Amino acid sequence: MAEQAVQPREEARSESGVGIRARGLTRRFGHRIALDRLDLTIPPNQTFALMGANGAGKTTFIRLVTGYLLPSAGEITVNGVSPAADPGAVKRCLGFVMETSRLYPELRVRGFLRFMGGTRGLAGADLEVAVEAGLERFQLGDVAKRLIGNLSKGFQQRVSLAQAFLHDPPLVIVDEPTGGLDPVQRGYVQEVLQDLRGERTVLLCTHDIAEARSLTSRVAVLASGRLVATGPTDDVLADDADQTALFRATGEHPR
Amino acid sequence: MNPTRALVRKEFASLFGSPTAYLTLTMVALVTALIFFDHLRLYNQVLFVYASTTMGGFDTDSIPDYINLWDTVFFPVMETLGLTLVGAIPLVTMRVFAEERSRGTDELLISTHLTPTTIVVGKFIVTFAFIVLMMAVSFIYPATAITEGGIGIQHLAAVFLGLTLHGIAIASIGLACSAFTRSQLVAAVSGWALAFVLWDFGWAHAFVSEQTAAVLDSLALHQRYGSFAEGVVSLANITYFAGVALVGMAVARFSFDLRRVGS
Repeated sequence: MAEQAVQPREEARSESGVGIRARGLTRRFGHRIALDRLDLTIPPNQTFALMGANGAGKTTFIRLVTGYLLPSAGEITVNGVSPAADPGAVKRCLGFVMETSRLYPELRVRGFLRFMGGTRGLAGADLEVAVEAGLERFQLGDVAKRLIGNLSKGFQQRVSLAQAFLHDPPLVIVDEPTGGLDPVQRGYVQEVLQDLRGERTVLLCTHDIAEARSLTSRVAVLASGRLVATGPTDDVLADDADQTALFRATGEHPR
Repeated sequence: MNPTRALVRKEFASLFGSPTAYLTLTMVALVTALIFFDHLRLYNQVLFVYASTTMGGFDTDSIPDYINLWDTVFFPVMETLGLTLVGAIPLVTMRVFAEERSRGTDELLISTHLTPTTIVVGKFIVTFAFIVLMMAVSFIYPATAITEGGIGIQHLAAVFLGLTLHGIAIASIGLACSAFTRSQLVAAVSGWALAFVLWDFGWAHAFVSEQTAAVLDSLALHQRYGSFAEGVVSLANITYFAGVALVGMAVARFSFDLRRVGS
């Protein structure tokens, strides 16, 4: 069974990578507690899965990392820096892959990548090089002039991935990257994520146990804002019986 | 590239990538042209009636002073245009922030080097530029015709400035409303409601004291705008419109903070 809510003492900070550390992290929305005194350490240069049912607190946690929300209590740091205290420092090392629906359908792929590169401080030749590299890396060259809204969901996800890597961030947050994709596109996205293992810190939010098992080295499972299990993926998601029990506790059915 | 500059470029692309911008520009230009030519037709009819009934022709002194191009055509057209903008501009501003929130792209923007302040400033700048374009498009008919009627270019410049500042103030109100909701409909309706309330407080005079009425009048868009329409450019009126724009920006900026800490 999973290693239960361990509270590592080591600081999630490294010279070569970016770690995330939450201590007593709490976020309330009125009377509802979305995250309840969460203690979690995401070590540098690891692909880390954040799992849990809808409403478990995964999105709230991501929003606290990106600085979109402020904690009600406790603290969260990215590479030792609080997103609330120094949002610029956190944003510089952060790439964010959102669900496909959260793009600009009225923009063309190349224009969108230029825009996103610009918002990340890239300019001139650096921006053009980064955009071309992104188009090539995610095989978007053929659709570079097309409107994002006219692309298939799989290609929209590639666009979403491409924008996150433009500034070569050491930390990438990936939210439900394969939801609603066909098997071919799903395989492509998983391949990309597989290539990132050990290269940089990846926080992967997913409902898919098989995906978490194949892509991540550590996992944390949230339920009703609380950490119910964390540890090496192979241990937490070891066998079917444990998974079922674990996800039943979170109100989610494994798939 | 400067992140704000990147946002401004993207906002222009988004604005002109949607039919709303073109529809609004066309609608305002069309309404202005229709109103203008209708008043011009009326003016010509009045002149003809005077000329034919007094038997003195168009050179006669019998045509009263108040039958002139300015009072009969230009001023009423500018009045109507001012009110048309109250109806049209919230249609442009409704999507600016609300669409980002409903699509969830505001989260993506926040994860970049853009700060809430630069996002607000970038979006306001683009909307203001669109307002200037809208004013130019709608002003061109009456301005071209009226210069033939002998109204000075300085006077026209004052009217254009007033019209633009008036548009910017309404846009600021609309943008502030858009920043607090994810529904474009709610943004448009609340923008209209606030702009119409601020347009003229004449309706409130019956319910409040004289002093309060004076204070309310000093806050009304109509009076400030009317001053420009008469050719008077005063620093107080410019400050008023700039103040409305700054308050709109501050309120829109506040919406980001509210979302970060709120429920």
